Amino acid sequence: MTTAEFIRSGWSWGGATLPIAAAALLAYLVLYRGTRRWPWFAAALGVVVLTLTSPLNALADGYLFSAHMVQHILLLLVAPALLLLALPRTVSLALRPRWLGRPWVGWIAGVGTMWLWHAPSLCNAAVTSRPIHALQTCSLLLLGTMFWRQTLAPREAERLSPPVAVAYLGGACLACSVLGIVLTFSPVTVCSIYAAPVVDRLGLGSLVDSRWGLSPQRDQQIGGLLMWVPMCLIYLGAILAQVARWFAEAPRPSGVEI
Amino acid sequence: MSQSPAKPGELAPHRIPVEALALGLASGSAATAPGHDAPLLAGLWSPVRREHWTMKWLSTVDHKQIGMLYLVTALGFFVIGGVEALLIRLQLAGPNLHLLQPDTYNVVFTMHGTTMIFLVAMPALFGLANYVVPLQIGARDMAFPRLNAFSFWLVPFGGLLLHFSFLTGGAPAVGWFAYAPLSETPYTSSSSVDYWALALLVLGIGSVGTSINLIATVLTQRAPNLTLRRLPLFTWMMFVDSFLVIFAIPVLNAALVMLLIDRQLNTHFFLPPGGGTPLLWQHIFWAFGHPEVYIVALPAFGILSEIIPVFARKPIFGYEFVAGSTVAIAFLSLLVWAHHMFTVGLGHAVDLFFVAASMLIAVPTGVKVLAWSATLVGGRIRFDVPMLFCLAALVQFLLAGLTGVSLASAALDWQTKNSYFLVAHFHFVFVGLIVFAILGAVHYWFPKMSGRMLCERLGKWTFWLMTLGFNLTFIIQHFLGLAGMPRRVFTYADLPGWGWMNMVSTVGAFLMGVASLLFVWNLGRSLLRGRVAGDNPWRAWTLEWACPSPPPPENFTSLPPIHSRRPLWDDAHPDQPDPVVGTHGALDTYVPERNQTAIIAFIFSESAFFGVLILTYLYYNATPPAGPSAHDLNVLKTGLFSLGLIASSFTLWLAEKNLTRGRLGSMRFWLAATVALGAVFLFGQASEYATLFQSGVGVSSNLFATTFFTLTGFHGLHVAVGLIALMVMLGLALAGDFKSAHPPALKAVGYYWHFVDVVWIVVFSAVYVLPRLR
Amino acid sequence: MPATSPALTYFGAVLKVFDPHSPQARAIFHLGIETSVVLAMIFALVAGLILYALMRFRWREGEPEPRQLAGNRTIELIWTAIPCVIVAGLFALTARTMTVSDPPPAPAPDLIVTGHQWWWEARYPKTGVVAANEIHIPVGRALSVRLESNDVLHEFWVPQLARKIATVPGHPNHIWIEADHPGTYLGICSEFCGTEHAWMHFLIVAQTPADYAAWESAQLRTARLPQTALALQGHALFLQMSCASCHAVNGTAAHAQVGPDLTHFASRRQLGAGIVANTPANLRRWLADPQQVKPGVKMPNFKFTDEQLAQFVAYLGTLR
Repeated sequence: MTTAEFIRSGWSWGGATLPIAAAALLAYLVLYRGTRRWPWFAAALGVVVLTLTSPLNALADGYLFSAHMVQHILLLLVAPALLLLALPRTVSLALRPRWLGRPWVGWIAGVGTMWLWHAPSLCNAAVTSRPIHALQTCSLLLLGTMFWRQTLAPREAERLSPPVAVAYLGGACLACSVLGIVLTFSPVTVCSIYAAPVVDRLGLGSLVDSRWGLSPQRDQQIGGLLMWVPMCLIYLGAILAQVARWFAEAPRPSGVEI
Repeated sequence: MSQSPAKPGELAPHRIPVEALALGLASGSAATAPGHDAPLLAGLWSPVRREHWTMKWLSTVDHKQIGMLYLVTALGFFVIGGVEALLIRLQLAGPNLHLLQPDTYNVVFTMHGTTMIFLVAMPALFGLANYVVPLQIGARDMAFPRLNAFSFWLVPFGGLLLHFSFLTGGAPAVGWFAYAPLSETPYTSSSSVDYWALALLVLGIGSVGTSINLIATVLTQRAPNLTLRRLPLFTWMMFVDSFLVIFAIPVLNAALVMLLIDRQLNTHFFLPPGGGTPLLWQHIFWAFGHPEVYIVALPAFGILSEIIPVFARKPIFGYEFVAGSTVAIAFLSLLVWAHHMFTVGLGHAVDLFFVAASMLIAVPTGVKVLAWSATLVGGRIRFDVPMLFCLAALVQFLLAGLTGVSLASAALDWQTKNSYFLVAHFHFVFVGLIVFAILGAVHYWFPKMSGRMLCERLGKWTFWLMTLGFNLTFIIQHFLGLAGMPRRVFTYADLPGWGWMNMVSTVGAFLMGVASLLFVWNLGRSLLRGRVAGDNPWRAWTLEWACPSPPPPENFTSLPPIHSRRPLWDDAHPDQPDPVVGTHGALDTYVPERNQTAIIAFIFSESAFFGVLILTYLYYNATPPAGPSAHDLNVLKTGLFSLGLIASSFTLWLAEKNLTRGRLGSMRFWLAATVALGAVFLFGQASEYATLFQSGVGVSSNLFATTFFTLTGFHGLHVAVGLIALMVMLGLALAGDFKSAHPPALKAVGYYWHFVDVVWIVVFSAVYVLPRLR
Repeated sequence: MPATSPALTYFGAVLKVFDPHSPQARAIFHLGIETSVVLAMIFALVAGLILYALMRFRWREGEPEPRQLAGNRTIELIWTAIPCVIVAGLFALTARTMTVSDPPPAPAPDLIVTGHQWWWEARYPKTGVVAANEIHIPVGRALSVRLESNDVLHEFWVPQLARKIATVPGHPNHIWIEADHPGTYLGICSEFCGTEHAWMHFLIVAQTPADYAAWESAQLRTARLPQTALALQGHALFLQMSCASCHAVNGTAAHAQVGPDLTHFASRRQLGAGIVANTPANLRRWLADPQQVKPGVKMPNFKFTDEQLAQFVAYLGTLR
């Protein structure tokens, strides 16, 4: 098939995604009725729905490692951030037990989940096994939210102060860069399932390989590069937002000499 | 001048004595006469009292004197590097000249590049930082004055080591980035490259030391009301720059260490016959090399951000954006290195990502250029010499930045890289921006350092000759590159136009030489006979201008009130002060403990070093090599010894806990246990090595052995150093020290020791565990 | 050489990067023009702003301090957003140019170029032609070239025809080489590779298909025994001395590939990778002491006698 045909036909509307998204939207509108932040929620849902139903999903399902990487980035970094921004500013996200709310826990959640899902056995399992794939999707969303909670929690008091947030985000950028470097330059295939899809369910084999010129090596390279440069740019954007927030803090009214 | 300088010993009525300045540092600084009796020369020469002035300068730990030592050293090496540049231009003045033999020419351009970057630019900029940063933050000295002195003396020593190679068979002739395989033994058998690598290692250690010192200083030595968001931009940029240094230099160190191991121990990190690849050298070197150019550019940006507002008589346009863009540049500079490798064949996918990142870095850089330009709009611009240099630097950097964007485009780089177009671009950055900024900075801060003004007339002559000479030299080189002239060639064919263009460039270079001579003459003359400067000759607004020129040893006896970024402006214009900024953030008043700050910064830098070694190990062992492999290692035995190491972290934690509880006996016990467990671990490593040696596996057996021994060897070295530190602690504890409950020293050593353990966990997983999972 | 348009020159020098003679070089050239225009406009704008400010806002005697404007957020956001757009545009243009000027290689190369310290080896695997420093190509047909190195890093750059590309030992690279018109194009090594990096030139000689075919068949002929006595003596000397330990001459017992293949040495225009023209006088100087002509070259000084020199020159002159 051609690229255009694929883009038209590669959508997967069945499955649990749409019902769950609809339920989430309902829950949000009920819980936070009247909030002006609903466009953020719509965006978050849009990202999740598109990630899981668009042709991107079809590609990530055993064909292209780089497509799977795009999904990861959207589910771990983009959707959770949008979700947190959608919460009204008064919502408290204090966690029980308390240590779950510590910065290092959030950091390890966000960084660790990316590393974990690229362990070869887990990476392959997420493609071949439906339950593990669902687990992967949920864990990315959940742990991504835990990661972003440190810097995007609705309440100012529950957030890291900007300089600490810069170190938090910078460290995450470095950690993911290392994984990106490993994937880009690795002489061996990390996620072997993508090197030779077992069943060419959608007949995309020739499209991907010959028309788009994406051999398994190049595919893994692009996947690694996506985790490296664009992902770091997302972190950098967040860092700059923190710097802006830091400098924008309004001065206290005079009388308090600091 | 609107504020009257306070007489020595008196406080001007509106000034507040600052108690927090009594930080009890800086032992052994220059002889302290009360106030200053010989006001003009006090900062430079004290009347001969107990020590001769040479000994005073050799043993000083005062940041001001160390700063000046850096600048003088840089000047000396600038002369050497400049002569090398003139030799290059003489040889290239016409086609087919034979002034220099090819090998001599190759030595000259290698030494020119290495000298100018590592012995001129970095020392000069860090020297300026050394002098200015403590003054700008109202501090008495740097956080670690003795570390400061040590870091300085590594510069002349490193320079000596580098130049010693001239006497031992020849200086290096491999280019300042020493690409493998040319820099490897089969192609360069003399010890030149070894001296080069060792010298750079020495210099790098000094740079990391200075940067850790700067980070600790800015975080812990600020005057009480000088919050982080009120930092002058030069200090802010040096602060951010220091993070780049402590990350990038260890990456270079890893590369140098691997090259030395290749050359001395017959291994093949970068040689294809043994399984290595020359591309790995390029990746690691440029992962250092690109941040390096920002390491030298950021201070220049800081200088421009100080001088341009003062001489335009208004604040910098968009302080927050200039400060924020610095953070963006620092992060992005770590993401762009492969744009030095566009022609090496990494593949379009890789190339394109680096095109994107490299072009993106132009955005925050552009924000700065526009900020400086906008600062001029609406000002009352004075064309004093510091401003002239900075204005030229601004326009020249504008051009450099734009040619940089063209080089960021891989397709264009495919034509212009390694040609004189590239040479022109980076000289527009290094000379057009950085040298001009340094010249501006010297003219700006010289009055503060010496108490005298530089001669304005000589300064203007220097400026015009330098600007004319510089542009004559390098603008035409853009066209030489487009005409097809490659870089690093000792001569060229008599193609039409090439001779003329090169001649113009050579003439320009000699004009720069004359300007440099004028500058040195100005320095000497003004030191002796310059006009007296006073505290604030430029009517500037940051704290370094709130003390006498030159400052007394303790810098400040009192400070003006600090509520904004320009305390002296507020002082002089109480009717229209700057808006109050940076008040109620938690971190604005938080002062971390300086030893912990330093050790955390050091840990960060060592992580970069180990990161490179670990990635190299993983890369070369991704497919099991022929010969010895990880399966020849004894997982169980080493695992056991590793448990010992991990246990030692636990015992050290117990020791710290006991110390805070005042139980010194238990603390000594647990400390001794830590030392013992650490020694056991090292013993285990030694026995693993012994087993391997006995079965004939040496460092040069194959790439597995090479990477294994290098990685675990350096880790073992770090353990050994940690053990020495722990034993010192134990010795002090046994001698009855540690009376107070929270000694920072033990905590700092503790952090280091835990770090070493964490590194081992990663190394053990990668080397011993991972292969068995496959 | 015939050209479609006059080349851009500066100070009399041809700006070869702006003088493309192939589709690949032309793609890069167009990008270069587009980029230069954009960048020049930015320079003019900003430098103009600076110059304007310097003239309009000079300090004049007696004037008070100016209005202390600290910034303007709107302006900041605008001049951050606009460069992002420009960068995005340049990125897109770059991506397109990269694809056009550097397509993926053919499955099998037409030409294998190997960099040596300090000469270029060229082999045509499909025909068996072996050349050194002078590479002939037919006009209008793109050749897929594989590039390797025998020792250190080198870089293959012929600006009028193609991008530059490094030769990395252990890591073969590929470019396409093509010329629109017949002509001789100078190429150089642009990665510092040691003592004589400056004299590692090569020539790309683009010929009409007919001329190229003639050249190719001439190159495939083995060397015939020379006719004159002097040349015959040179031939004997060649095999007797250690010449054969480095150089190959097809049709003789000399097969070594350490130095350049000399089978058709006399057909080349240059000697020593471009350091001098290939004339009998220069050849004699070279053989008398290669180190005098090209210091550091790997060929030692054999201290031949005058008589031997004459014999060699005569013999090598027959290797057409």
